[in-house]
Amino acid sequence: MKKRTVFRVHPTINFARFGTSEDYILSPDTSAGLPQDGTDITGGLPIKKGTESETITSQDLRDQDGNLKKQAARFRLYAYEVDKLDTYPSGNGTEVTIATQLPDGRTVTDLIWSSHLANKKAAAYNVVNNKGIEAYANNQVPQMRNPEVHGSIDSANRLNRLMIDAGPRAISAKNKEKASFDRCSTASWVRKNGKIETLPDYPIRFPIDTNDELFEPSGPLETLGDILTDEKGRLLVLPSMGNAVGQYDEYGVPIQMTGDLNNVGWFDSAADGPVNVTIVFNDGSTEEAFGAWVVCGDPAYAPQIRNVVSVWDDVYDMFVRDLNLQPELYNKVEGEKDFVFNPDYKPNFVQDIQPVFIACNLQRWTANLPPLALRGHTAVESISEDDNPDQTIMAALNFIRNPNKDETNIGMPLMPLSLGAAGTSFMTVTKTQYFFLEQWSKKKFETGKANRLGPGEFLDMSALANCLGGRYVPGIEVSYTIMDKDIYIQDWKTSGTGPFRIKQYPLTYENLDKETPYLSSGWIPLHNMTNGLEPGDVSKFMAIPWQTDYNSCSIHATAINTDGVNESNGAETTLYWSWPSQRPDAVYVAEEVVNNVLPKQKWSIRGPGTYAVNPASAATFQDPLQSVKDWHKIGIIVQGTNVDNDEQKYSPSLYLEVQSQLTNPGDTTDPVPSWPFNANPPKPKKGCPYH
Amino acid sequence: MNVKHKDWTIKHLKDHLQAAVDLEFWTIPFYMSAMYSVKDRSSQAYQMLRTVVNQEMLHLQCAANIANAYGLSPTMKAPVYQGTTIPHLDFSLDNPKAIAPYKPYTAEIGALDLKHINAMCLIEIPEYLDGEKNIQLQSKIEEYGSIGAFYQALRFGAYLLRDSIQGGVRQVDYFSAFYRNMPNMTITESGENGFDQIGLLIDLITDQGEGQTKKDPTIPSAFQNTADDTEPHDDHFAKFNQIKNNMGHQLPDVYIGKAHGDYTDTDKQLEVILIQQFSELRNLLEQLFKGDNPEKFFSIMASVGGAISNCWHHGVTPRYS
Repeated sequence: MKKRTVFRVHPTINFARFGTSEDYILSPDTSAGLPQDGTDITGGLPIKKGTESETITSQDLRDQDGNLKKQAARFRLYAYEVDKLDTYPSGNGTEVTIATQLPDGRTVTDLIWSSHLANKKAAAYNVVNNKGIEAYANNQVPQMRNPEVHGSIDSANRLNRLMIDAGPRAISAKNKEKASFDRCSTASWVRKNGKIETLPDYPIRFPIDTNDELFEPSGPLETLGDILTDEKGRLLVLPSMGNAVGQYDEYGVPIQMTGDLNNVGWFDSAADGPVNVTIVFNDGSTEEAFGAWVVCGDPAYAPQIRNVVSVWDDVYDMFVRDLNLQPELYNKVEGEKDFVFNPDYKPNFVQDIQPVFIACNLQRWTANLPPLALRGHTAVESISEDDNPDQTIMAALNFIRNPNKDETNIGMPLMPLSLGAAGTSFMTVTKTQYFFLEQWSKKKFETGKANRLGPGEFLDMSALANCLGGRYVPGIEVSYTIMDKDIYIQDWKTSGTGPFRIKQYPLTYENLDKETPYLSSGWIPLHNMTNGLEPGDVSKFMAIPWQTDYNSCSIHATAINTDGVNESNGAETTLYWSWPSQRPDAVYVAEEVVNNVLPKQKWSIRGPGTYAVNPASAATFQDPLQSVKDWHKIGIIVQGTNVDNDEQKYSPSLYLEVQSQLTNPGDTTDPVPSWPFNANPPKPKKGCPYH
Repeated sequence: MNVKHKDWTIKHLKDHLQAAVDLEFWTIPFYMSAMYSVKDRSSQAYQMLRTVVNQEMLHLQCAANIANAYGLSPTMKAPVYQGTTIPHLDFSLDNPKAIAPYKPYTAEIGALDLKHINAMCLIEIPEYLDGEKNIQLQSKIEEYGSIGAFYQALRFGAYLLRDSIQGGVRQVDYFSAFYRNMPNMTITESGENGFDQIGLLIDLITDQGEGQTKKDPTIPSAFQNTADDTEPHDDHFAKFNQIKNNMGHQLPDVYIGKAHGDYTDTDKQLEVILIQQFSELRNLLEQLFKGDNPEKFFSIMASVGGAISNCWHHGVTPRYS
């Protein structure tokens, strides 16, 4: 069968992360916390600007003025020779850059990259934290955000006032062009012949366009980011400065933030949108690659601390069970109605099983675990592929919550012990992760290095593995919609796109009118919408502004997930971690480590404005406005290998906080108790004086 | 036979303290085996057993801490589970009316069933059901009818010999964070003040579980679990009775042990693994209570739980020696 050449952008989804500096570092190409060949440095660390893969050290995180550097999302282009029916993993793919010569003799002379960033948060529906995606079930939708702005969800009035749309931008890699998704530059787009065309009539929208004045505690919101290319023609998407602005009320007072998720009158500069590239060849021909998606959001405060359940685990699980990713793993049994996991499938220990064990042990660097748990986690991580599973601490998967059973309300001693998805007390591994663990438990697994993924496929996996999964309430980088098959190209086997690629709603940029919003309210889940996503359709399911949710999601009692009622097997006041690996709670400050002896833990968010009367609100800025102002002062957790210190070397086994600007060494802060610890008990109800 | 209070010697007290450790330790595999036999981990039976097992581990720690305060680092002998013999207890000395509802019972390891829950209730039967008793020191530890009587005697002997208490010696504390209202889980003081701490630990043991003497079955707040128990005010007897009463309506779905002759090679391996790991755990506990800090203690303790589960999943009745 004749093969055809297709071009694909990888990672299929990548993440740009806020910073207050004009300078930047690059998104990691490796997967958080996992061992890397030839080095002690584990995966997940960002990469130094201008390098292929040199990991940052602690002094690269801030610029000389102390501003937090942005993290650029780096996209690469790969060529594939594919059959009529694609398989996953393909294991192949060759990177294409400027000057690459293809087997057919053509040489790449230019790469015309384009993207379109938007933020629809304020125009979208509320996040309902105890319902999640179910808030859209049965043809229902949640209440609209900013309901005081007149109109239906798609009315021009609401979109003009509430949607931030920077419009599209296109740049030539050969000409080393750069474009900003800002308010005052002109939109541009690439037409079929690879020519960039300006779009002067594109209706760019920013909050200041419809507000006389805005409260700007972290500066004006006039851009969603930038695009540029590196020396090889790869695309770099830079995010904004992560700022948020609020409206003034009729008395001229900034509208107070009243919650974590759906603050009325507020806007932030998160964004997302498609990424595409047109390849220009020396013979004048052009080809379109299958595009990708970029999400601009929260900084990676603990880039090497692996989530037990990452976005990758969730997306992979969905593709396995819903989109026929690997029929040899999950398929229909002859004569049976249902699809099932293949009981003879052998997962690879290093690729499919060990990451869970490693993630388990990494939680200690961002959560206040008790000593016995630390010993247990050490034992979990030390399990090797040569061990008899029956003789390990993980025998019979005795301490793993089974996602196939109703066990989400069982806390201790089942793991993971962090809070669960909407409506559940505790998190579970995915069904695919659990199946892999079961196979290991039955001694049905492969040993040795897997090497199954091609280089582009590896980037897809790594980018998603570095993000928070399992608990999308609403999430840190993305929300529960990332697990909805309706957002993806579902005919990935025949279309040549490969899996994990978000379907782009076709935007032609014709009939533009400056007065009329171009984008609509866009895609929502559970409404049979499969036409693809518009810019802004990923980030709109996140909190507004992003800082208030990051700030508050430190530690909670389980009832926050279950309509205020304790459904767990523990006390109603017992506190658990919300997103421990992605949102550090308790950390070890590198400057306080001496001779590799760990000091007492400190809260990641600490110092003035963080002192909590109730332990339930420990480790947070007590005033949400402070989170909008000071989020960039929070420290970052990096491995000891990459902590710069002239006085001492740190062990590779340590992951320590660096570059915090919240306190100085020696400052007194709220103490970190050992877990389990409790919120203050509920206040007794006041009786009626007449009864 | 009864002996007079003035006859307490430090040896006699240490015999009682070792017996207390034996008794607390005996309950752990017995209860844990029943717990892991229950298939539904979210069931009331499983969860109640879990909370009691955790408190038995706490009681073991308390008994060992008291023993170390008197200079005894306890040994951890392999418990024996045969017939109807529960170490140091002779139910024939109990009020027949009080124990009648909990017969028949068995002291053999097995899945959760009526005989096993009866045994658990008998072990935990409170003194207020068993009739008022005078504190009587028995020359043989086996001559106590209930754990309540045993601990009353122990407390009395401990008081008489309070001058021998040395605080801060080989004390272990893994549970403080689970009992936020408890002043201290260890003996830090010597002499009279140390005895107050010992009395507190004995109260914790008896009020939570075995041999509760008070009229009100509610556990005092200082001894209530504050972390992972939805019924922290209920003592062991109350919890076991809830399980027993529910079994009257519906027996829990449990794993059933097959005949030993039907064991496959894999089954036999699982049995051996449990015995080996439990033996290692006993050694590690001894080290722990001798003042060491054995690195593998928790991982082996957790592994024993996994090994018990593994046995049941394969139809193998757990064995510990």
